[in-house]
Amino acid sequence: MTIVQEIAARRAADLADIQVEAMGTPSATRDLLAALARPGLHVIAEVKRRSPSAGALATDDDIVARARAYERGGAAAISVLCEPHWFGGSVDDLRAVRRAVHVPVLAKDFVVSSDQLRLLRDAGADIVLLLAVLHDADALGWLVAEARSLGLEPLVEAHDAVELERALSSDARLLGINNRDLNTLEVDAARAETLRSLVPDDRLVVAESGINDPRQLLRLRARGFDAALIGEALMRSADPTAATAAFVWAGRVPADIAAGDRQPEVKICGIVDEDGLRAASAAGADYIGLNVVAGTPRALDTARAAALADEARTLPHAPKVVLVTADSAPAEMAEFVAAIDPDIVQLSGHETLDALAGVNRPAWKVVRAASNPDAALAEARRWIAAGCERVLIDAAHASKLGGTGQLADRATAASVSRHVPVMLAGGLRPASVAEALREVPALGVDVASGVEIAGTMPLRKDPLSVAIFVKRARAARFDLPLTPSRPQRVDHGLVDADARGRWGSKRDLGGRFVPETLMSALLELERTYTDVRHDPTFWAELRELHSNFAGRPTPLYRADRLADALGADVRLYLKREDLAHTGAHKINNVLGQGLLAIRLGKERLIAETGAGQHGVATATVAALLGLPCVVYMGARDIDRQRPNVLRMETLGAEVRAVESGSATLKDAINDAMRDWVTNVESTYYVLGSAMGPHPYPTIVRDFQRVIGDEAAVQVRNVEGRMPDVVVACVGGGSNAIGLFNRFIGEPSVRLVAVEAAGDGIATSRHAAALAGGSAGVIHGARTYLLQDGDGQVTEAHSISAGLDYPGVGPQLAALAIDGRLELASSTDSEALDALRLIARTEGILAALEPAHAVAALPRVLDGIAPGAIVLVGLSGRGDKDLGHLARLT
Amino acid sequence: MTRNTSGGRRIESAFARARAAGRIAFVPYVVAGHPSLERSYELALGALDAGADVLEIGLPYSDPLADGVTLQRAGDAALAAGMTLDAGFALVERVASARTDKPLLVMGYANQFLGPRGTEAVAQRLAEGGAAGAIVADLPPDEGAPLEEAFTRHGLAIVYLVAPTSSDARIELIAGRSGGFVYCVSLAGVTGARGEGPMNLGALVARVKKASTLPVAVGFGVSRREHVRAVAASGADGVIVGSALVDALGQDGREVERFDALCRELVAATTPVEATSAA
Repeated sequence: MTIVQEIAARRAADLADIQVEAMGTPSATRDLLAALARPGLHVIAEVKRRSPSAGALATDDDIVARARAYERGGAAAISVLCEPHWFGGSVDDLRAVRRAVHVPVLAKDFVVSSDQLRLLRDAGADIVLLLAVLHDADALGWLVAEARSLGLEPLVEAHDAVELERALSSDARLLGINNRDLNTLEVDAARAETLRSLVPDDRLVVAESGINDPRQLLRLRARGFDAALIGEALMRSADPTAATAAFVWAGRVPADIAAGDRQPEVKICGIVDEDGLRAASAAGADYIGLNVVAGTPRALDTARAAALADEARTLPHAPKVVLVTADSAPAEMAEFVAAIDPDIVQLSGHETLDALAGVNRPAWKVVRAASNPDAALAEARRWIAAGCERVLIDAAHASKLGGTGQLADRATAASVSRHVPVMLAGGLRPASVAEALREVPALGVDVASGVEIAGTMPLRKDPLSVAIFVKRARAARFDLPLTPSRPQRVDHGLVDADARGRWGSKRDLGGRFVPETLMSALLELERTYTDVRHDPTFWAELRELHSNFAGRPTPLYRADRLADALGADVRLYLKREDLAHTGAHKINNVLGQGLLAIRLGKERLIAETGAGQHGVATATVAALLGLPCVVYMGARDIDRQRPNVLRMETLGAEVRAVESGSATLKDAINDAMRDWVTNVESTYYVLGSAMGPHPYPTIVRDFQRVIGDEAAVQVRNVEGRMPDVVVACVGGGSNAIGLFNRFIGEPSVRLVAVEAAGDGIATSRHAAALAGGSAGVIHGARTYLLQDGDGQVTEAHSISAGLDYPGVGPQLAALAIDGRLELASSTDSEALDALRLIARTEGILAALEPAHAVAALPRVLDGIAPGAIVLVGLSGRGDKDLGHLARLT
Repeated sequence: MTRNTSGGRRIESAFARARAAGRIAFVPYVVAGHPSLERSYELALGALDAGADVLEIGLPYSDPLADGVTLQRAGDAALAAGMTLDAGFALVERVASARTDKPLLVMGYANQFLGPRGTEAVAQRLAEGGAAGAIVADLPPDEGAPLEEAFTRHGLAIVYLVAPTSSDARIELIAGRSGGFVYCVSLAGVTGARGEGPMNLGALVARVKKASTLPVAVGFGVSRREHVRAVAASGADGVIVGSALVDALGQDGREVERFDALCRELVAATTPVEATSAA
């Protein structure tokens, strides 16, 4: 017999003779499920005096005081051991704790009979543990039903896939995945994480055992756990309230300003009563749908709809009211709108475009997905062009009005959503909404039947289902920041590379022009990166580093004095990447690539660097991750950026001077590539800009896009809308694409790239690859570069080492060729003047690189409307340039 | 896919002739314009007369990221002395017309073939000049279609490279698209002579031969007789020697006798040594 079987047998023996008298009326069950359905990962704190694995735990016998302390610390529930011989627990403990706290209490017992369930319920248990390891599927199912009939919510626990399958078939709503094997007491710390994907999203899931560091909750929450059960770590703490609070804090949804921009909206449709309204509002839904289409299952008469709409407006976080109509005549529509006063009108029938005329509210049109994607897109475009705010994609059944509850043709929905604003509807439910949102870049989701209580008439919403639906929908986008979440109104070749790494509307830029020795490394990198894109724990760890190590989010600063000094009557905002750790935006990319290197199992980092900022960032992250690091730097750059060389060496990196060629950035890249070719098995090449062979331009863009994602939200917060112009300096293009990425698909936003003109673009001494270069291949990618007639790369010349690169990344080249990007440039002396101006008007010592962007503003903003919103990327700080300035002045 | 071009067939014939003579093919490499245009012409002829079966003529490039220090320096020096693409093509034409029986390949980088000069113009010039084809160090077949298209029309071969890190699937792709021969890079690294020479060649060569009937030539790091013999023993059909010959030319590139001597020595090593009885 294994230990768990032994314990269960003893329990059965002990309880064989219990007499459970007719139960008194137990107090109302406290609802743990509703608590766990709220955002974040919640703590179930466990009291026990000892355990077979940990030995003695309680320093005193005051279990009740400890339980109270846990509750004060924010625990969502208290778990109480009821087993006496191995755990020193008792049913009396359960009773005492239940009386002392207000949160739900879990009876942590080894349940072998239904009498035992009655005993526990009588003692006050709200939740009861059922172990899949002890019961076959039938027994488990029966115990679950029995528990529910007593008002006890079962927590069914599993340790492996087989047990999990039994647990899932038992119909339990609350599942536990135990890292500990109860047959052997061995803990496998990764077990819960690995098994989570086997549990459908409509269940609430608890991770158990082996959780002793609050940091572990970061990954567990990202992985989709709703709670963690923590015992030993809390029992051993000297200050249980504080210890619990630390875990509670670690399980919260972390602050992430950029995430606000990709949150899906949720509409709960077909509300028929006040309870449904309240469920929607409590869950944080953005919209409620009131259906006035006569003859449909959720139809309301006008008076009822008006009453519900009024009620909705009084609720906290009042959801907006969407009036669902179909083929209403203009007079009827006018009546509806007047009586109900909705925020949005949804046209769900076979309306023609002229129906919009009679609707004096923002309108949504339902488009069926069954038609081929091209036809659906064409129809959607017609409605948007006619003034519809968005389109609602539903499953196709042309003859049926209203929602059909069928799964929408996902590919069609995805295709339409890439181009126009879409609400996704049809057959969504808590178990399927996350996947739908990962596949379809819809602005939001619409659900009716998927969150209803089966068999009720009229169709009532299940508050728990509504809450879980919203939680899963939000997590889908929150935890995977790269998931497309809105339409892009430009050619998609400007937004993403194809599978071969080609950019541009003709898919003729980018690619992989590298020696064969590097192909396997690039293919491996691409495979790993594809996995990582879909791994929420990677992004959770990166977010934590962004926040606690890099100091994100960076501020958005309004520079009025600078705007005045430039003679520009605009709202000028500087995105302060100079305030990120290491003093430039480079850290964003290196943190991400550093984590990638670890995932690839590489033992050594190499990098190229121009101004030294990327080298410093790489050396910084190498130190953080404990990896040796070599940075290649042109001998000329070493000379003009001495402080950065010293920083790199102090951080423990080896800086290798590159003498060949022009002894600047392009030659450092060549040497880094040579090193990579030679050491490809052990070495990860941390490429510093959005250039190079596929997948680097994508990877760097993905790690830098946080700049623009944050800035978009920050601008919207203070100005209520998108910026009018976004300006960035361009060397290789990483800070530029990082700032621009968010706005590429918004045609109303001007994007301006400012290149380094050196002595002037007309001279041969500049670094403007876009304005002054031509198409060719450099460093692995087809793009624009400075070259002579033979295709020899010519040297770039700029006072700023970071812009002194004769090429540019392929995505930026694609944007420029397509006309989506405007080009500007600033000379060395203009940049120097701008640096001084920024310093004197705003007290900011900007690097020479972004000083180019500021220097170009008078020309860029010529003729702009007064009060326009201008966003400029301040990509780095200028300490590194001061010595250089001193030499020149 | 350029195997069936006249250039590709000429190259394969050269390998076949070497095989018929009981040895592996010797493929030396000369940098156009190093130490001077005229001298590089003489060196090219010298290498061919010393017994080369196929000759590679390197076109100096500003950013040779597959090349080690030896070839970087030689290329830099040639460019500094005013070397141009046209001068390189002219050199090829001179050599080809002086020695019509030996196929010539140019070696360069993608931007020389796909850049401002224009792919069509480059292909035409090479074909008119009598070249058999090209090796492009940073062009994998994944990006090769446009160049293959132009080269095929002009009867030129593109020799693709495989590396020890290439998967079987990639070797199949690369060997399937290559013309003339398959270039086996012997090590993970850049060009450059190395003391220990190529190692563990047998496995890589066998994998390539499984994928194609094209001749297989091994290069990178070959500098001594023992290395050439190791290549022969690996089952390869030819050996490519580049940096070692440039090194032999010395600091200022003028030590022609050393260059010649090394060529002859390495050619001699392409013939297997008669087994001598131990007894």
